[in-house]
Amino acid sequence: MTAPTLKIENLKLGFKNWAGVSNVLHGISLHIKKGERVALVGESGSGKSVTARIVLGMLQQLKTARISGSVEFEGINLETLKPASRHALRGTRMSMIFQDPTSSLNPVYTIFALFKEVLARAEPGITSERARQRAIEALADVAINEPERVLDSYSFQLSGGMNQRVMIAMALANNPALLLADEPGTALDVTVQAQTLKLMSELVEKHQTSVLFISHNLGVVREFADRVYVIYKGNIVEQGATAELFANPQHPYTRALLSAVPRITGGGIPDLDDDPGQFLAPLVAHPSYSEKERLA
Amino acid sequence: MKKTLLILTRNPLSLIGLILVAIVVFSAIFADFITPFPEHVGAVVDFVNFNKPPQWPYIFGTDLVGRDLFTRVVYAYRISLVLGIVVLAIAVPIGVTVGLAAGYLGGWAEYVLMRITDVFLSIPPLVLAMSVMGLLEPTLTNGMIAVTVMWWPWYTRLVYNIARSEKEEGYVLAAEVIGASKTHIMFREILPNCVPSIITKMTLDFGFVILIASSLSFLGLGVQPPTPDLGSMVAEGAKYLPDSWWLTVFPGLAILIAVFGFNLIGDALREILGIDQ
Repeated sequence: MTAPTLKIENLKLGFKNWAGVSNVLHGISLHIKKGERVALVGESGSGKSVTARIVLGMLQQLKTARISGSVEFEGINLETLKPASRHALRGTRMSMIFQDPTSSLNPVYTIFALFKEVLARAEPGITSERARQRAIEALADVAINEPERVLDSYSFQLSGGMNQRVMIAMALANNPALLLADEPGTALDVTVQAQTLKLMSELVEKHQTSVLFISHNLGVVREFADRVYVIYKGNIVEQGATAELFANPQHPYTRALLSAVPRITGGGIPDLDDDPGQFLAPLVAHPSYSEKERLA
Repeated sequence: MKKTLLILTRNPLSLIGLILVAIVVFSAIFADFITPFPEHVGAVVDFVNFNKPPQWPYIFGTDLVGRDLFTRVVYAYRISLVLGIVVLAIAVPIGVTVGLAAGYLGGWAEYVLMRITDVFLSIPPLVLAMSVMGLLEPTLTNGMIAVTVMWWPWYTRLVYNIARSEKEEGYVLAAEVIGASKTHIMFREILPNCVPSIITKMTLDFGFVILIASSLSFLGLGVQPPTPDLGSMVAEGAKYLPDSWWLTVFPGLAILIAVFGFNLIGDALREILGIDQ
């Protein structure tokens, strides 16, 4: 059996400050198999985004960060890699999509210039003609009708939805094994968000890309993910298959999270059982969805 | 670029600025052809025509040794412009690089670089330039060095502030994610976003560099005779006011025109590019 695309084991993270160490992650474990779409769901500050940054190796260089546990990418422990080879993975084997697509594209370069830079990560010295051709193909994949016009535009000349699709096309241009999506499209309106998610969903299936989907939007997660991890205050509190977890939430925090979604039919924001004490209950894994069983 | 020029000509104030700067630059470049007595730049003495008020062919009059003042003012422009270009060409890259490094890298680099910059900024500019000139021989080159030393920290502070806010933008994070190097992010991602502010400040500063250099030579610390310089001409003529008024008024007006012209353009650019300071 091949190694999972991403395997995080007992990952702990703390930030050192003048008052000592404040712990952010208290030993989380998760994994993503090839082609799997996994969601990491939690409230703001629960440790979702830092997890993604650790996978990319962006926190390791921070002097104040204290990290322990292991992160394996395609069976290789990232800690044992030399900085250079680790660096080479970024943007080629792993890539990332962000919340706000428009601010993620440098306004002083055309989309084509940015595309070429991304393609040159995997293929140094790529010619402009070839980069253009590949960029057009990638844009066609994300249902952009006039790729030529888009390539010669600047990000501020395109709509948010267009930029999001450009971002997705760029992120997948080098055929990465792992895509980290950090609340993609939160800055977009709901209909555009739905369109781009659908596109992304089709594309990762086509490319056989594994996705770590980080979100606080339960509706989006339900549509997109195969499996879900719920994270609360730096601990994974519940994990399982999407449908089952939504139908039958076991952990008090997951239940509270699900009932916190305002209903479109009225009734306002529901009253929450505000007892954070019970949210700290230990991890609940749905039957046959514990890390041990899944990785066996 | 073309568009910016077009907008510049539409606003009356910036149009005046453009015309003034055009006059200054044109006369500096073609000084050899438009001046009646190019040889008067050096140490020429003509006691027949000394200290004459404006009259043909001496439209600005003559100075105390009989040299044509118009010729000397036009050549002084040439020297001022060269000085301005050289000073900015050295000060801006240094200031911008330090500012980018401090703003983007943060940590102790930011601390050290910005404290050094603060030390320079805390000393009044003219005093700093004067003390540098006091240490060195008063020549044109040293004048440039003195003005450069006092000028770069302003660019450091400008770029530092922009870099600090640009660094939080998504595209910097995106570049970090695809594995771009620190120098790439500093110079290829953040710097292009600072360019409008830098260009505007350079235009505004050009006039001030000329003014400061003239102030230095007014105080006798800049360019030395017989090389023509607007500041030293004003200083020389001031002793003979108000009788020989042309000795002071024309070089003084020349400084005014240059500084005013560059300031008007700079202000207009700032408005067009939407920069608040």
